[in-house]
Amino acid sequence: MKVKAHIQLKKLTKSYQEGSKNRLVLDELEISIREGEMIVLLGRSGSGKSTLLNLISGIDKPDSGEVLVGGTDLTKMDEKNRTLFRRKNIGFVFQSFNLISTLTAHENVLLPLKLKGDTDKETLGKADQFLEEVGLGDRFDSYPDLLSGGEQQRVAIARALASEPMLVLADEPTGNLDYETGRSILEILNELVRKNGRTMIIATHDREICKIADRVVELQGGKLQEVEDTTEVI
Amino acid sequence: MKHSDTDLLWLSSLRFLWKHPWHFALSILGVALGVSVVVSIDLSNNSAKKAFSLSSEAVTGKTTHQIKGAAETLDEEVYRKIRIDEKVRKSAPVIEGYGRIEGMNRTFQIMGVDPIAEGPFRNFASQQAGIELSSFISGANTGIIAKSVAQELGASVGDRLTVSVGGRAYKLRLIGTINAKNDRSQRALENLLVVDISTAQRLFNMEGQLSRIDLILPEKNTESIVTDLKSTLAGGATVNRSDSRSETVAQMTRAFELNLEALSMLALLVGMFLIYNTMTFSVVQRRQLIGRLRALGVTKKEILTVVLKEAALIGLIGTVIGIISGYFLAQVLLKLVTQSINDLYFVLSVQELSIGLYPLAKAIFLGMGATLIASFWPAREASEAKVSTVLKRSSSESKLAGRLWYFAGGGLIAGLVGVGILMIPNGGIAAGYASLLLLIVGFSLMIPLMVVGMAKLFRPILGRVNGLIGKMSVRGVVTELSRTSVAIAALVVAVGATVGVGVMVDSFRATIVSWLEAQLQADVYVQPPSAVSRKADAELEPRLVDLLKETEGVANSHTVRSVDVSTNYGTDNLVAINQGASAQKTYQLKKAEPDFWQQYTADNILMVSEVYAYRNNVALGDSIFIQTDRGKAGFQVQAINFDYASDIGTVTISREIYNRYFDDRAISGLALYADEGLEVDQLVERLRDRAEGLQDVFIRSNRGLREASIEIFERTFTVTTVLRMLAIVVAFIGILSALMALQLERAKEHAVLRANGMTPGQLWNYVITQTGAMGVMAGILSVPLGILMAYILVYVINLRSFGWTLQLMISPGLLLQAIGLAIVAALLAGIYPSLKMAQSNPADALRNE
Repeated sequence: MKVKAHIQLKKLTKSYQEGSKNRLVLDELEISIREGEMIVLLGRSGSGKSTLLNLISGIDKPDSGEVLVGGTDLTKMDEKNRTLFRRKNIGFVFQSFNLISTLTAHENVLLPLKLKGDTDKETLGKADQFLEEVGLGDRFDSYPDLLSGGEQQRVAIARALASEPMLVLADEPTGNLDYETGRSILEILNELVRKNGRTMIIATHDREICKIADRVVELQGGKLQEVEDTTEVI
Repeated sequence: MKHSDTDLLWLSSLRFLWKHPWHFALSILGVALGVSVVVSIDLSNNSAKKAFSLSSEAVTGKTTHQIKGAAETLDEEVYRKIRIDEKVRKSAPVIEGYGRIEGMNRTFQIMGVDPIAEGPFRNFASQQAGIELSSFISGANTGIIAKSVAQELGASVGDRLTVSVGGRAYKLRLIGTINAKNDRSQRALENLLVVDISTAQRLFNMEGQLSRIDLILPEKNTESIVTDLKSTLAGGATVNRSDSRSETVAQMTRAFELNLEALSMLALLVGMFLIYNTMTFSVVQRRQLIGRLRALGVTKKEILTVVLKEAALIGLIGTVIGIISGYFLAQVLLKLVTQSINDLYFVLSVQELSIGLYPLAKAIFLGMGATLIASFWPAREASEAKVSTVLKRSSSESKLAGRLWYFAGGGLIAGLVGVGILMIPNGGIAAGYASLLLLIVGFSLMIPLMVVGMAKLFRPILGRVNGLIGKMSVRGVVTELSRTSVAIAALVVAVGATVGVGVMVDSFRATIVSWLEAQLQADVYVQPPSAVSRKADAELEPRLVDLLKETEGVANSHTVRSVDVSTNYGTDNLVAINQGASAQKTYQLKKAEPDFWQQYTADNILMVSEVYAYRNNVALGDSIFIQTDRGKAGFQVQAINFDYASDIGTVTISREIYNRYFDDRAISGLALYADEGLEVDQLVERLRDRAEGLQDVFIRSNRGLREASIEIFERTFTVTTVLRMLAIVVAFIGILSALMALQLERAKEHAVLRANGMTPGQLWNYVITQTGAMGVMAGILSVPLGILMAYILVYVINLRSFGWTLQLMISPGLLLQAIGLAIVAALLAGIYPSLKMAQSNPADALRNE
């Protein structure tokens, strides 16, 4: 059964201990995201973008506040259940691709599907389809170390979308790519996410990405501020 | 988790192992070596036990009870009394001893029997078995052997065999062969020479005497029959159940076997450290990979399971290889174990390995168990790591750096608990090993802190010697402490174990050498060849003794008689000495009553060896009751002496007192003093000339006997030395695998260095300096741990196993050898990765995965 995608962060606070000092990264942060919305999360390096994505995906826990994803409060769940929730509902695209080096491109895409427990025939079909869609239909059996950066990121996109998550999180998806490759990756991401009706949050410091966003928010001083005029930031 | 989910994770794991073949192979080798040592020791111990029980079953037959004399012999008159007066029809006289058949390179058990009485007892020796009675008891020397032995010897019925007993050679006619019914009987009989009673009496110089009388008593009224028999037996003869002998023998070798098993377990423990080390590496190498999987929704339990499955695979392959190689190693060890048993305890000939299910089951359990236990913590660490931090590499290093003191504190506590266990009075051998294990673990936990400390010392030194590269190398050891400290800890334990066992053997040797110096006061020693090297169980011919004593140049002499007697503690070795006052110089006493030497020739007092006192919990003032030819007599323990000749212990009395209680006048050994000014070697030559043609005896100078004794000692420790060598091999491979894995894993860092302008030669220098520095650290740290292990092995485990007081002997050579081993292996470990990096294109390593 599909859960209605609706993300709500309430009074989210997170701080880190740095030596004897306590550094507040997120300070009673609040945001509501509609189903199918594409959000670009802007912020300088170290502003807490990755921390926020980790909290939304349940990788990390906040000091206080609520993380509601599709009506489920992740902060009330234990580590195991958060992992199982993430497995079923969240897709990831990382800056450094983070493919599993010991699996082929096809197996990398297959992995989240298998983890979800989808049946083999169905799974194989979805993996094939997404790899074709990102333009890697001829690289099924290639290991990550034989793929270029752009190709690796395309595999990562296929992997994030193949399991039909209600939310896709992308952390600096073009950060490790050249300008041209970055643009093409963004195009693929935008097209596929919209085509499949997924909700997506892209964390980046690259303001050009704002072009594809439905809404742009900027993380400053631990709080989110809506950027009304995206042309201003580009 | 469904089956299909695991497949991809498992596939990923298998590919990881496949992509790191060195690592995979060395992990398997670590398990295989540990298992191999345990299997080989178990198989050889079991084979020796099995061979003993088979031959014991064969010679005991259906006997239920045995009558034995007070000393080694029993008057044959007793047999007549039992059979005719007491009407015990199922009784058979037996003479037992050892000898060699010319052409066969092993000792045979010679059994003198009466074939007429044998029927109910032993099929092979009875008239029914087809022994031709007229030839067998013809009065000439005749005998029968197993058919297989005759074939091996190339002898046929009617041929003459030359049999050597106690240095005397006899001709014996082969009048038949024994056909074994099955393989089991075949093995039991292949070291047996059966002769008739009168032939045996001639061979063993036992006219009118028997070794024992075998009885089959009815199950009903056994007790009352035994009581009746006891009342009729005179002269200290006793009736015992036939299996009590096997029990005594089993007890004799218990400590010997236990120590071998413990040493083999030590090899497994070293193996466990290697497995722990390699598994930790394998996990650390995959930190980021694991982080990615966790981010994708793989649970902790799934990570733990897959890492443990990997360990199980390594364990399984290692165990199978270990069992197979253990079987081959056992073939070598069996010879050594049998040789040691022959030197120390009793005659045993083992022709083949017997493979039981138990050693195999134990190997599988230990191999798999040790691998899983050693892998559990790395696997757990892998699964417990926080996903958000695991994706960043530096986090684990800062975590360990912050915990250095906690680890060291934990190590100190483990060590103190170990010391506490040592303090428990009468703690037993198991407690000794438990504390040894705790001290090893405790020391290992302190290693990261010690490495950091040593690195501070090394940095300026290597900086001066090797410039910036030298400094960088040492710094690299500290920055990657979570990996390097585990590798160093594994090496320290492995090398430390070799130091520990080496120091123990050296201590034994030094103690025995200094003890022999004191013990061997006379100039020349005369002994008949004995079946058991450390036991004087043969006799010198009286004529020869007189002749040698009267030889020109002999100023003085004393004799020794050694027999097995029954005491209230079981069967003990009793030694009678007629040394007079000079004995005071020979025997080093641990404890004694003040006027012991003044009284020992006149009173019923005796001296026991410290091993005897320890085994039987005997103290000064206690009494020992010895079964003598005059009945049971009580003797008071008035001295405890150091004695390293026997781990069973001896009881020593003066010959004057012995003669009062025993009819035996035989002599087992003769010690002679040369006239002043006479060269000892000259006297030895003269004595050898005089003995020519009389009895084949060993006539050795003081120095010669000392050398021969040390040679026997070395031989009995060959098994230990072999095990130590194996531990060294395990340690060497451990060092190699740990450091090689570490360097191979740093390929990317090396590529960065190359990209920044480091030449292949400089990279080689960097890698070799770093592994060399780690080798030196491991070598240095293995010395205190090795000495600590040696201390426990010498002062606790040996004392608790055997009761010996040894001097701890630490030779600098041995310690240097350990450090050298660590350094050489470390340097060798650096060669492959540095060559590989120097030859490869740094761009490949710099590519993102």
